[in-house]
Amino acid sequence: MTQHGPLADDGLVQLLTPSGERVEHPEYTPRTSHLDGAALRAMYRDMVLVRAFDTEATALQRQGELGLWAPCLGQEAAQIGSAHALAKHDYVFPSYREHGVLLSRGLDMARVLRLFRGVDHGGWDPTEHNTHLYTLVIGSHALHATGYAMAVQRDGLVGTGDPGRDTAVVAYFGDGATAQGDTNEALVFAAVNNAPVVFFCQNNQWAISEPTTHQARVPLAQRGPGFGIPSVRVDGNDVLASYAVTAEALERARSGGGPTFIEAFTYRMGAHTTSDDPTKYRSAAEEEFWRQRDPIDRLRAYLVAAGELTAEHTAEIDTAAQELAEHVRRETKALGRPETTSMFDHVYASEHQLVAAEREWLTQFEDSFAPAGGA
Amino acid sequence: MARFEQFLLPDPGEGLTEADVVAWHVAVGDEVAVNQNIVEVETAKSLVELPSPFAGVVAEILVPEGRTVEVGTPLISIDTDPSAGPADPPAEQPAADDAPAEGASVSPQGEGVTGDDSSGAVLVGYGTQDAGAGRRPRRTTPTAAPASMSGPSAASPGPSSAPATSAASPGAPSSAPSPATPGSVRALAKPPVRKLAKELGVDLDSVTPTGPGGIVTREDVVAHSKAAQPRALATYPGDDQPWLASGSVSPDGRQTRVPVKSVRKRTAEAMVSSAFTAPHVTVFHTIDVTKAMRLVARLKEDREFADLRVTPLLIVAKALLLAVHRHPEINASWDDDAREIVYKHYVNLGIAAATPRGLVVPNIKDAHRMTLKELAEALTQLTLTARAGKTSPSELSDGTITITNVGAFGIDTGTPILNPGEAAILAFGAVREQPWVHKGKIKKRQVTQLALSFDHRLVDGELGSRVLADVAKILEDPSQFMVWA
Amino acid sequence: MAVVERLTVAKAINNGLRRALETDPKVVLMGEDIGKLGGVFRVTEGLQKDFGAERVVDSPLAESGIVGTAIGMAMRGYRPVCEIQFDGFVFPAFDQITTQLAKMHYRSGGALTVPVVIRIPYGGGIGAVEHHSESPEALFAHTAGLRVVSPATPQDAYTMIQAAIASPDPVIFFEPKGRYWEKGDVDLTAGPDDDAVAGLGLARTVRTGQDVTIAAYGPTVATALKAAETAATEGTSVEVIDLRSISPLDSATVTASVRRTRRLVVVHEAPVFFGAGAELAARVTEECFYHLEAPVLRVGGFHTPYPVAKIEHDYLPGLDRVLDAVDRVLAH
Repeated sequence: MTQHGPLADDGLVQLLTPSGERVEHPEYTPRTSHLDGAALRAMYRDMVLVRAFDTEATALQRQGELGLWAPCLGQEAAQIGSAHALAKHDYVFPSYREHGVLLSRGLDMARVLRLFRGVDHGGWDPTEHNTHLYTLVIGSHALHATGYAMAVQRDGLVGTGDPGRDTAVVAYFGDGATAQGDTNEALVFAAVNNAPVVFFCQNNQWAISEPTTHQARVPLAQRGPGFGIPSVRVDGNDVLASYAVTAEALERARSGGGPTFIEAFTYRMGAHTTSDDPTKYRSAAEEEFWRQRDPIDRLRAYLVAAGELTAEHTAEIDTAAQELAEHVRRETKALGRPETTSMFDHVYASEHQLVAAEREWLTQFEDSFAPAGGA
Repeated sequence: MARFEQFLLPDPGEGLTEADVVAWHVAVGDEVAVNQNIVEVETAKSLVELPSPFAGVVAEILVPEGRTVEVGTPLISIDTDPSAGPADPPAEQPAADDAPAEGASVSPQGEGVTGDDSSGAVLVGYGTQDAGAGRRPRRTTPTAAPASMSGPSAASPGPSSAPATSAASPGAPSSAPSPATPGSVRALAKPPVRKLAKELGVDLDSVTPTGPGGIVTREDVVAHSKAAQPRALATYPGDDQPWLASGSVSPDGRQTRVPVKSVRKRTAEAMVSSAFTAPHVTVFHTIDVTKAMRLVARLKEDREFADLRVTPLLIVAKALLLAVHRHPEINASWDDDAREIVYKHYVNLGIAAATPRGLVVPNIKDAHRMTLKELAEALTQLTLTARAGKTSPSELSDGTITITNVGAFGIDTGTPILNPGEAAILAFGAVREQPWVHKGKIKKRQVTQLALSFDHRLVDGELGSRVLADVAKILEDPSQFMVWA
Repeated sequence: MAVVERLTVAKAINNGLRRALETDPKVVLMGEDIGKLGGVFRVTEGLQKDFGAERVVDSPLAESGIVGTAIGMAMRGYRPVCEIQFDGFVFPAFDQITTQLAKMHYRSGGALTVPVVIRIPYGGGIGAVEHHSESPEALFAHTAGLRVVSPATPQDAYTMIQAAIASPDPVIFFEPKGRYWEKGDVDLTAGPDDDAVAGLGLARTVRTGQDVTIAAYGPTVATALKAAETAATEGTSVEVIDLRSISPLDSATVTASVRRTRRLVVVHEAPVFFGAGAELAARVTEECFYHLEAPVLRVGGFHTPYPVAKIEHDYLPGLDRVLDAVDRVLAH
């Protein structure tokens, strides 16, 4: 499909074609040459697992177990490829669709569903896997990521040369977020501070019902240079290329080279959320076109052809995927209603008279009613 | 054994309330796996495939294609444990064996408790939640229902603060307001009550509060206002009428029955109490009061007494007061309960008055301290008030000695009954011109009779007689006042 | 032993910031023109010279960016103190303040704290053009998760800025710019000990009286005190309370006072309509219903945008309007 402007798909960094063939790229192939069969299978495994997770979560929503679900279907390569380049001590600021990143970072995926179940506004401790909570205000977290990177600078953890210490920050957001003021302000601050932050934009071509042509006139990657930030446009359905460009950006950040803007050109194969109906604004033909470019398919094809994915491997991965799905299903269905008074927890970090008083009031109020039923 | 689970139509997206069942992908008897798409439904937003939450065998399709149903309606019944079925092999549960197939799905918004609810009484999906039939019933044994949503004044300054307050806010009806800070005695009252107090001229701070926590209520203000006003003697309806008017005539027209009420009742009670408790003795004296009458005439001309009513009763009152001053033991009462005689240090002089409603005996407080003029004023006022029926209860109480002016009716004398709580009562008869032995000759003189009844428990004949004799002496010769006062 | 200097409010804050920078290496100041220039009100004068450009940062002209990056820094253990140059310019940052800063601790179930202080010169009376004289404190007080405070004196400015920085909660620190140049004694040994942090939410009675209580904060505390002095010459004894904090609101101190005086007037520059005075009035009415001898009256701005400089003093609650309210509550 030929598109123009921000939906043009030419000139993308690519290392793996849609049919699963390796292609050479002078700058980026070297960044993947150390990835052996195990490393690639690990990426493949994560992609399969996150898709199973995503499918299960969608089903759970359709069964009334979740109020909402935002599927990452089709974006597995961009997320897992980039995440696999991260060090444990790097810090990630996702938006709300980066389930693949979370899985690669080692989160218990059942935690992610708490937000969508309506029992938690977060769901996990960000400091445990150096992965921030999902931010629902579009683009807002790009500033947090930049500020975090500015703190890393002040910690002196940039350019030491020690890979165990040099730290980078990654902010993930979509095409729609590039129109938001906060995203652009984040680019300003990152640039003038030379902050060690990577802006990873997944251009999945749709912000709910609006194509990227509503957010920009030119490819999104052209934004970076406008702020003085080096920028690269990558095939977001190519896990190897996604990995490679991210590795480069992280190295730049860690070494004191400052921020990078990565546009991963991908496709949102599912709906915006389970409340959305894409049949109202895009064609089945377009969806079919992108199904042919499925990120998992191409990696599988490559691995199988390279003899790096046997039936045993596949069985193990499928079993793991199934177990993951069952795990999140079980955990989610067991999530009960939080205690009423929990709404008063953590409003402030220090004592607050009014919150305490209102908690007490509501406790007494609820207590004044006869117990329900007879149990 | 078969175990049937129902899949209820969930809210497919953000508050939708219903959906049309478009197409079933399974039929009764089919095996289904968890998450297998089993039905397509259409909502206001879109066409949606619904995946089965259960693995098992389809037992019943509950909603046919083409029907519109509300969120929460059971769509399909699936036997999740068909092992007991005769023909069917146990359904394989590839993916969902350990999904605890609870009743209906537990929704985070619903009332179901974690994982145990199989009653089916849970809400599925999100969006508009069924608010319930009505108000929840309160406990019968009341815990302190919190009074104030806005929270109490958490008064804990300083770092040790755990906001140590009760949720019951001060000032709310169910709990008392905080006691006024020490040193403050100002009243607590809500705005309408303050307004009322202002209108009635009531000083709130002097009202006795009966509301919880010392709040002055509307009733308190009204009661205070009433008590301050002089009360009409009559307290029964129809009291304003001559008391005969409240009677009813008998059918034969020969009798009128009048209920004993009000003043009549009180008088009757007082008489009975007095007459049958205190042994009454009456002593009599007939005297020449010509000089006293001349004094009355002269006082009438006196400028000082110009605005006042001067009557012989005034002089008799003054005379009695002086006699009581000389014989204070008569100004006492018999306290039977305490077995004591109580001698009063003051004289509240009662004057029996006939009013349209009956006999009342208001008294002049501290009459012993009054000048003649003051006494005249008091007598005048007393009479006017009594005739208007406005004598207040306080004026009727605590009398120490009484005069009854039977002479006003032209009667010579009588045997008066003591006012309860007093030891003596003086009856003053009519003054008539009568022949008298004056300076050895028969002359026409002003003559009257005095009678003093007394309580023989505490007043002997000597005392009573001496008192009467003193009164007589002053009336016979008012200049005796100079000698004794 | 106290070390007392006579300082302006601006200088007192400067000293407080300096002390915080000295005490805690994680404190970082960020804002437009705060570094080299020392701030348009000179509140940060001399600090960049002594603490360096990494700790006293001249930010890009982007309020949302300033607050958003501060949040990120706080997440990594820093204690950012942002300056918003003028009250009317806080609104680009309103999203970051209300959807992110206020809610981060709550959203993370307590795992993350964001001890960010946002300093905002506010209030009018300086003859400025549009957007330079606002009092938007109620908008922030209405957002759970934020602390909203305003010192009225140099001493309070000195201790409260330190306490705000030491607090684990986000604090919106409203500085009465109309009073920046007023002087007062400041004990420089006072610091952000525990008392001050807990005390950050407490009001203070600054003048005792019998007949009526005036509650005020920020620039109107001085107005209230002046009104009290004038009223005293007329035979009325006025008690003045400096609220110091809008969220939390120390209604306990006010209700204790009203139980004695029976009358309350609240004074603030912000519009009366939906202002902080409304909250205080509702609470006091609820808790002192049987004590009140008059309704609670509020004196403040009108429901208009802040007017032009030439007539701003007719808008602001001055002596006459405050005393008028005092007269009216006494007349009840």
